[in-house]
Amino acid sequence: MPCASSGEISVQSLTVRYPDRERPALDSVSERIRPGETVVVTGASGSGKTTLFRVLGGFVPSMIRAKVEGEVLIDGISILTKDSPRPAAGVGLVQQDPDAQICTLSVWEEVAFGPENLCLPPEEVTARVAESLASLGIAHLAGRETTRLSGGEKQRVAIASILALRPRVILLDEPTANLDPGGAKQVFDLLRSLGERDGRTLVLAEHRLAPLLPLHPRLLLLEEGKVLLRRPSVAYSDLDSLGLRARWEIPRPVVVRSGPPALVLEGVSFAYGEAPLLDRLTLRLWPGEVLGVIGPNGSGKTTLLRLAAGLERPQAGRVLRPKSPVLGFVFQHPHQQIFERTVRREFSVEDEIAGARLADLLRRARLDGLEEAPPLSLSLGEQRRLTVATALSRGPNLLLLDEPFIGQDRENVVWILSQILAARERGAVTLLVSHDIPLVASLCDRLLYLGEEAVEGETAEVFDHLESTRREAFTPGYWEGGLR
Amino acid sequence: MIASLVAGRTRGGLRRATPLANLLLLLALLAAVLASPGIFVKLGALLLVLGLAALSGGAPRTVLRRGRFVLGFSLFLLLIQVLSVREGGVLFSIGVPVTDRGLLAGAEMALRFLVIVLSSLLFITVTDPDRLARAILALGIPYRYGFTFVLALRFVPFFREEYRTVREAQRVRGVDRPIRSLKSLRRSIRYTVLPVLVAGLARVDTVAVSMKGRGFDLHAKRTITRRERWHPIDLAVVGLSLLLVAVTVLARERGWQ
Repeated sequence: MPCASSGEISVQSLTVRYPDRERPALDSVSERIRPGETVVVTGASGSGKTTLFRVLGGFVPSMIRAKVEGEVLIDGISILTKDSPRPAAGVGLVQQDPDAQICTLSVWEEVAFGPENLCLPPEEVTARVAESLASLGIAHLAGRETTRLSGGEKQRVAIASILALRPRVILLDEPTANLDPGGAKQVFDLLRSLGERDGRTLVLAEHRLAPLLPLHPRLLLLEEGKVLLRRPSVAYSDLDSLGLRARWEIPRPVVVRSGPPALVLEGVSFAYGEAPLLDRLTLRLWPGEVLGVIGPNGSGKTTLLRLAAGLERPQAGRVLRPKSPVLGFVFQHPHQQIFERTVRREFSVEDEIAGARLADLLRRARLDGLEEAPPLSLSLGEQRRLTVATALSRGPNLLLLDEPFIGQDRENVVWILSQILAARERGAVTLLVSHDIPLVASLCDRLLYLGEEAVEGETAEVFDHLESTRREAFTPGYWEGGLR
Repeated sequence: MIASLVAGRTRGGLRRATPLANLLLLLALLAAVLASPGIFVKLGALLLVLGLAALSGGAPRTVLRRGRFVLGFSLFLLLIQVLSVREGGVLFSIGVPVTDRGLLAGAEMALRFLVIVLSSLLFITVTDPDRLARAILALGIPYRYGFTFVLALRFVPFFREEYRTVREAQRVRGVDRPIRSLKSLRRSIRYTVLPVLVAGLARVDTVAVSMKGRGFDLHAKRTITRRERWHPIDLAVVGLSLLLVAVTVLARERGWQ
């Protein structure tokens, strides 16, 4: 797919301050990205990655209010002045949430959206749509409704809609964060072919580096708004020393599977409408056991949690919960289970928790000092710690976690893991739905894969089966860099 | 119920017509039942809706089965009128006298309700929202406003899903207690509205960046590549709509009951 030549980015002493924030989101960042280069920007949540992308895309400060100092040039032209060229002129931004960035009802209209806004002639629009879809191998999706696409398909459509603008620079802000491993692999494969093929400048924010190494990217590591580290190239062997390896070492005590199981699903079937989601599923889990649930989006993972919680009744079979169930349920997005006006009151939604006990819970969740803060003003990491802490505050014997690691940095992931391990020690049964395959591989005693078939067993056995049936995106080898 | 009034995904009947022609027919049907006197035109409009549903893939039996709540409610409206209107000649008695005026007023109200709801459901079922959005944009409405409609359609399933999840989170945390006081009502609203609103605002932020980033609002006009073309069936639907309006006007002038 042709694009205008060049695509050079020059960032000079860039400092960005949002209103009402003490610390600058970006602090004296200087960087030069050469035309055709592929650069991966990584760093903890809140390190400034999204702000950097939104400045480069021309959205800060023109759309999102902030005080900006320094200079940003794209192909030698400043994008920070009032009469700067609009973002669509040379830079395209693909955001994290594949669903939220789609604004039309059909794939064809979505890809045509940008060219139509640029007032290109209809024949040119038609040609660009066909070209963009074909270059990503998704021409067959042209007539589909956007609401009926999978996450991976939506993200590829989002990328196609940017390609149709023929930008010189493509910015991708954690494009795989919300995707299942299969969808993420589709996007990584696509990025590899984009980077190899047409000499466009690619700047990506991504935590999982191993699948990107074949692109030979340059690495920028941000911390608290500053560039902490630059690497002209990254090899697989560097990931350990950089603390960017996807592998986890988590102690896994032997679970004694004797006595009555704590959670039983017996021949459970469930369907929304006429399409069966779970078909005669049988599971037995003993106290202290952690079951990882993996699989493509829409395969029934969250439904399984809802059945275990009693929020849904199976259409066939039965669910037997612990005799006196104390439920801890962590939803995928923290805001969905935050109800109160202050952090302190959030702990009193179910039972009144105050005094020394509240202080202890806040200290453990590293939220001390934030008692009177409105929960929704906290960072995503703090909100996640709050929802995990409130879910665990009643000492649950059935812990259900739906994608608790999305958008979390390593420090927060470690904290959430410590809470799961503590619950396991107390004998809680844990069901963990996660797309983080290396983490699931290290943490979980057993694994349930839901997809074209339901596969349940010891973690290693299930991964062996998935690898032998060519579903490598769902195995740790793909994410740890073992498969190329 | 809305999405399933007409069974199957056939391409026949009104599904083939352009959304604007269907919209005109819907308006004509609404005008007919709101402006015509008596039950003559309203009964005709109901038969027309059922006939069009059958042509568009919904056998009358399916429509009646899937629209049974609507039918039940229209019977309730009929009963209320029959029992409450005392004017007119008494036909028979069921504890209270049933009059001819009461029966007529009940039938009118029930038919009006049935046609309004069933024709709206039929319109929603047979109309592709993408084509409707395109047709609205092609009407000459400034595209900034036209896109509000498209975005609203994109946001409906999102808000529905978000609301369901938030209510489930409330159940899990035991805060979905029955509302017994103004205070508990306020709390329930706050617990529901706040999380859904936060999610909505985050989504608006993302979609705004996505649209601006692709040149939305860059020019006063934009290209419309795919336009709805008019076919003979569209002319037939427009003709039917005009005929319906003419019959309604005649019925008003001549006092057809």
